[in-house]
Amino acid sequence: MLRISAALVAALLLALTGSAPAPTAAQERPLVVALGAEPRNLMAMRTVDWTTNVQQMNIYDRLYFWDGMPPRIKPSLAAELPQTPDDLTWIIKLRPGVKFHNGDAFTSEAVKWTIEWLLDPKNESHYRPRFAFVESVETPDPLTVRIRTKEPAPILRYWLVDFTVQNPNYVRQVGNDVAARQPIGAGPYRFVRWDRDERLVLEANPNYWNKPPAIKRVEFRFIPDFSARLASLLAGESDIVKDIPPVAVEQVNRSGRAEVRGVASSRINYLALVNFKPGPLQDRRVRQAMNYAINVDEIVSNLFKGRATRTPGALSSINENVNPNLKPYPYDPERAVQLIKEAGYDPTKLEFTLDSPSGRYPLDKEASEAIAAYLGRIGIRVRVVVNEWGTHLDKIINRRTGEMFYLGWGPALEAQGTIAELFRPERTYSGFGTPNLTLEINKALPIVDAKKRQAAWHRIQVMLYTEAPWVFLWQQHDLYGVNKRVTWHPHPAEKVYLHDATWAKR
Amino acid sequence: MVQFVARRLLEAAVVVLLALTAVFSLQFLAGDPVKLFLPTDTTPKQIEEFRERLGFNDPWLVQYGRFMRGAIRGDFGNSLRQGEPALGLVMQRLPATLSLSAVAMALALGVAIPVGVISAARRNSWFDHAGIGATVLGQAIPGFWLGLMLIYVFAVWLNVLPTGGRGTWAHFILPSITLSAFVAARFARLTRSMMLDVLSQDYIRTARAKGLGPPRVLYKHALKNASLPIVTLLALQLGQLLGGAVITETIFAWPGVGRFLVQALLNRDFPVVLVGVFLTAVVYSGLNLAADMAYAWLNPRIRYQ
Repeated sequence: MLRISAALVAALLLALTGSAPAPTAAQERPLVVALGAEPRNLMAMRTVDWTTNVQQMNIYDRLYFWDGMPPRIKPSLAAELPQTPDDLTWIIKLRPGVKFHNGDAFTSEAVKWTIEWLLDPKNESHYRPRFAFVESVETPDPLTVRIRTKEPAPILRYWLVDFTVQNPNYVRQVGNDVAARQPIGAGPYRFVRWDRDERLVLEANPNYWNKPPAIKRVEFRFIPDFSARLASLLAGESDIVKDIPPVAVEQVNRSGRAEVRGVASSRINYLALVNFKPGPLQDRRVRQAMNYAINVDEIVSNLFKGRATRTPGALSSINENVNPNLKPYPYDPERAVQLIKEAGYDPTKLEFTLDSPSGRYPLDKEASEAIAAYLGRIGIRVRVVVNEWGTHLDKIINRRTGEMFYLGWGPALEAQGTIAELFRPERTYSGFGTPNLTLEINKALPIVDAKKRQAAWHRIQVMLYTEAPWVFLWQQHDLYGVNKRVTWHPHPAEKVYLHDATWAKR
Repeated sequence: MVQFVARRLLEAAVVVLLALTAVFSLQFLAGDPVKLFLPTDTTPKQIEEFRERLGFNDPWLVQYGRFMRGAIRGDFGNSLRQGEPALGLVMQRLPATLSLSAVAMALALGVAIPVGVISAARRNSWFDHAGIGATVLGQAIPGFWLGLMLIYVFAVWLNVLPTGGRGTWAHFILPSITLSAFVAARFARLTRSMMLDVLSQDYIRTARAKGLGPPRVLYKHALKNASLPIVTLLALQLGQLLGGAVITETIFAWPGVGRFLVQALLNRDFPVVLVGVFLTAVVYSGLNLAADMAYAWLNPRIRYQ
């Protein structure tokens, strides 16, 4: 028995001494952002993933970024907005005197390297398709980048937003694998340590071109369980936690330590009506009827307590290309029944399956159930199938959903990323397409002239409104729990830039 | 003995092989993971290229052969999500799980065995009743609920312990209590019932008649004889703690293997899942072997052929 006890004590000691020492009180407590997962890697321009990008963005600086409300494109590593002397040429002037964290100068060479790096298939960058139209990148001088495209590609203006830049010397020297674990960027914070599944530690870059950050040390902590993230906020351990559910807002505000700060996000939620399968939803009148039959305003006020902003069409109200003339479908169940009958169907004989995720978007399952209940009022039977997220996505990608599915899309601050991605037949995230719509979209894509492009997107939004491919729902409000000792405001495109954060004055 | 161990090791290898084969085959039913890892604007042509590079377009048997050849050399391929070798990613998280399991098991045994022994020795006393009550609670309370309640009481309300994460000895307290509650309850109940059984044996009466003091009778004579099933349970529970601390690791943001594997499963990151299956099979086989060998030490009548 004695021997067993000794073994246990030894195990205990081993376990305890194996852990890191506690931070001393003299150190300034870091600003802690609690996230659900660690980054997939820390290589700039390799992976499209919210959690990954939010962390990278504080280490690498971007050429341009979305700033203000409504958000507009502003230069960061670039010195000014890009110039387009002709439809195929883009000139980017860079900010002088910027240095990477290791002291290397930031020049046009770095931008050229990063674009060529992401275009090289062996680097497996998710950004490759977005830059497939690039013909060449030239560096006439250290502060000028000239990009030539194979075809007119006005979307490049948006792809240069949040374009993070690698340090070519460093990546060449250490290789992709090391650079992806120990990044060197030119951003406001530099890398200190990454404890797997625990935390990413960053410290302020004292040489940041745009005044060094006020908060000297930052930690991203990885807490997979939402209740535990909330608890860490309430206990004062975390300073910023995203996606506070509307039901927990009161609890956070009452805690005395933290408060909920919200922003109308550029992410929209919608109920897709699948028109690729034979059935009543192929008829435009039936799809319009779905929009008339559901009282979206009531769901927003009762279920969301006003924490959602209704969208009349496919784009959010803060999208650069939104058509401001669209008005939401009114709640008119009688008109809905009439339209369904005109289309030759009896609403009481209609049966649909609605696929919904649970917990991916604010109150997604509850909203799906409310939608089913409204359709039930005019006699339509809707079976709500609640899916685990991976399964939900898998069903959508492989077109195995029911006639309707619930999804969110964003952040989206321009039209192409939503309309061209969702309403062409080969794309599955919407389940809708018509030859006419595809034609119009394909015509709009290469228009470089800003006014003509805006007019084209406005016209397409009217078409979409009439075709009713979705039940148009709302922009979700992103609710962040923020410790009162921190001054920081949420960003409508779901960015967590910490450069602007400061400690609140007491 | 050597022959016995060799035979058991061979059996273990077969178990590991079968487990890997089963899970490798099952992944084909779980849907195409490739699209889940790529951004939504990836073109079908690029998705195809990606599949081709990962070898997902090859026939099942070819993929299986390639996987097994790699696995034998310890190469399970790269994580689809993180792009790093899957085995390394899992092994990095092993120390966290081992340390938490060790503390939790020490806590469980340290509490449960004395409680079980005393309950049996003082059957139907208030201690016995209280002990039984506590074990029923320990087995009935779900781990996630207990964990969250502990967090809310000790971290949020009293603010004396951290809500989660790893770093200091204080970080061990709540997760190890959560993890050990269920295990301790099982051990206490088993110890009590085995002790009751043993205490009614003739040799105990003899020991007492010889004039030995109660502690010596209880611990030297009774507990050693009662401990065979406890060792079996220990091996099983240790296996479960190592692979199954999923809920505790998730709630307490503990950077361990269980939490990582569940995330991998939800993300359809199959190379990581297969490493998890491999490790679990190896650990269980190893622990079972260790338990069998411990029997020989505890009960000299057992001899292995």
